[in-house]
Amino acid sequence: MSQTQNGSMERRIAEILIQELKLENITPDTFDASCDLVKELGIDSMDLTTVVLVLQGEYKVKFDEDSYPTLTTVHAIADQIRQLQGTVS
Amino acid sequence: MDLEIPAAAPAKPTTAAVAAPVTFAEILKHPDIAARFQQVRRYFFLRESTYDMTSRCNVRCDGCYYYEGDKQNAVDNVNATAWRDLFRAEKARGITFVVLAGAEPALVPELLEACYAEIPLGAIASNGLVRIPESVGYRIHVSVWGNDATSERVRKAKRMLERQMEIYAGDPRAVFVYTFTRENIAESRAVVEPLAKHGCKVTFNMFSATVGYQGSLTHTPESLAETRQTMLRLLADFPEQVLFSPYSAAAHTDARSLHNLYSCPYPRQNQGQFGLGRTFRQYHSDLTWVREASCCVPDTDCADCRHYAAGSAIVTARMNRHIGSADQFRSWLDYVDTYLAVWVQGYAKSPNLCAVPVSPSLALQPEANR
Repeated sequence: MSQTQNGSMERRIAEILIQELKLENITPDTFDASCDLVKELGIDSMDLTTVVLVLQGEYKVKFDEDSYPTLTTVHAIADQIRQLQGTVS
Repeated sequence: MDLEIPAAAPAKPTTAAVAAPVTFAEILKHPDIAARFQQVRRYFFLRESTYDMTSRCNVRCDGCYYYEGDKQNAVDNVNATAWRDLFRAEKARGITFVVLAGAEPALVPELLEACYAEIPLGAIASNGLVRIPESVGYRIHVSVWGNDATSERVRKAKRMLERQMEIYAGDPRAVFVYTFTRENIAESRAVVEPLAKHGCKVTFNMFSATVGYQGSLTHTPESLAETRQTMLRLLADFPEQVLFSPYSAAAHTDARSLHNLYSCPYPRQNQGQFGLGRTFRQYHSDLTWVREASCCVPDTDCADCRHYAAGSAIVTARMNRHIGSADQFRSWLDYVDTYLAVWVQGYAKSPNLCAVPVSPSLALQPEANR
C-alpha cells in the first residue's frame, strides 16, 4: 500500500471511490493510491466523472475538464486537488 | 402550447449577495433526482462503437450520410465468420454496445446475427423496408423523413411509412425516428399520430447536413425554432409513445450545433485518451477503421450536427456541466433516460423530471458563456 505524508486526503478519496462506485473487498486503508483506476479497476469515464463531482463539492474546487484524463490514480487526484487549493508547496 | 426556453443566466453574478453554488451532493439529496440517477447510472458501463455492415441499400435518400466520403467505397466483407471474429475482439477490448448501420444493414441479416451472438446490447439503424429477423434482439431504429409523399420525393421510395408500419408496428424492438428537416415540420403530426395509434414508439432526430451538402433540407434559425415547438407539442400530446424530453428538444434545436454547445467527445473531434476518444471506433464494411474520421455519423458537417445519435454520447458525456442547479441536473437525467429508452432494448422511459426546457447555454464551458 502506498501512502504519502498527506495520507488523509488520499484516504478520503479512496473512501469516496469505494462508496460511489460500490467497490467490494476493499477498504480505504487497503486501497492502493498508486493503482491505475481505469486499467486495473476498470473504472469508466462516467464513473470517474461522478467521483470528480463529489470531490468538487467536498473540497470546494473545480476540476478542469481537460485534466480528467490525468486523474488515473488516487495520488493523481489528490495532487490535483492540492494544486487547485493552492496548497502544493 | 408554446414553451419558451428560459434565457441563460449570466456567466458572472451582478449583485453583491450571491447564493452559494450548489454542490453535486446537495443536488443528489432531492429524492427524485437521487432515484433517477441511481437508475441511469446502472448503464454507465455502456461503451459503444459503430459498424457499417454493407454498402448496399434499397433506397437512395437525398442527404444520406452514408454515401458521402470514403466509407462508401469500401469493398464489403460478407464473411460472417470474419465479422464474428471482429465482434469477439471488440467484446474483448471492452465494447458493450454496438450500433449497426449501413447503408442498409437489414440486407445482411447473417452478419447482424453474427454480431448479436457476441454482443447482446445494441441498435440497428434501418430504413425499415426489409424485416430484420426476430433472432436479432437489438433495438431497431426505423428512419422516417416525413409522410409518404415526402418520402417518395426525398428517398425515392413509394408508400414508405405504410410499409414500415406493416413490418414493424407491434414489434417491441422498433423505435420510429422522425428526422425533422427544414421542409417536413408541418407533416410531423400526421405521421406521429398514426404511429402512436398503432402503439409505435417514436423519437426525434434533426437533419444534419453532410460536409458540402447543398440541398434544401438544412435547417435555418426559423425552422429550428418551429421544430422545437413542434417537438414539445408532440411530446405533450403523445407522452406514452414519444420518447423525448424538453431538454432533448432544447439541445437539438439550438442555433449552435451539438459540437459547438458541448464539444464532441468522438475521436473525429477528440484525439485524447479519455472516454469515447479512447474507445470509440467506426468500422467500415471492409472491417477497417480510421481514427481521425471516427464518429457516430461520419461525414456530417460538425458545424451543423444535431443528430440524435451524436447527442446520445455528447450530452451524456457532459454530466459535469449540468450541475449548476437541481433543475439543470434533472434536465440532464431526462436526456439520459430518453437516450436509454431509445437505444437499449427493454429499458422503459420514465416520466420526465423537468417539464420546462432548460437552456443548453447553461452547459457551456464558463469561458464560452458570454
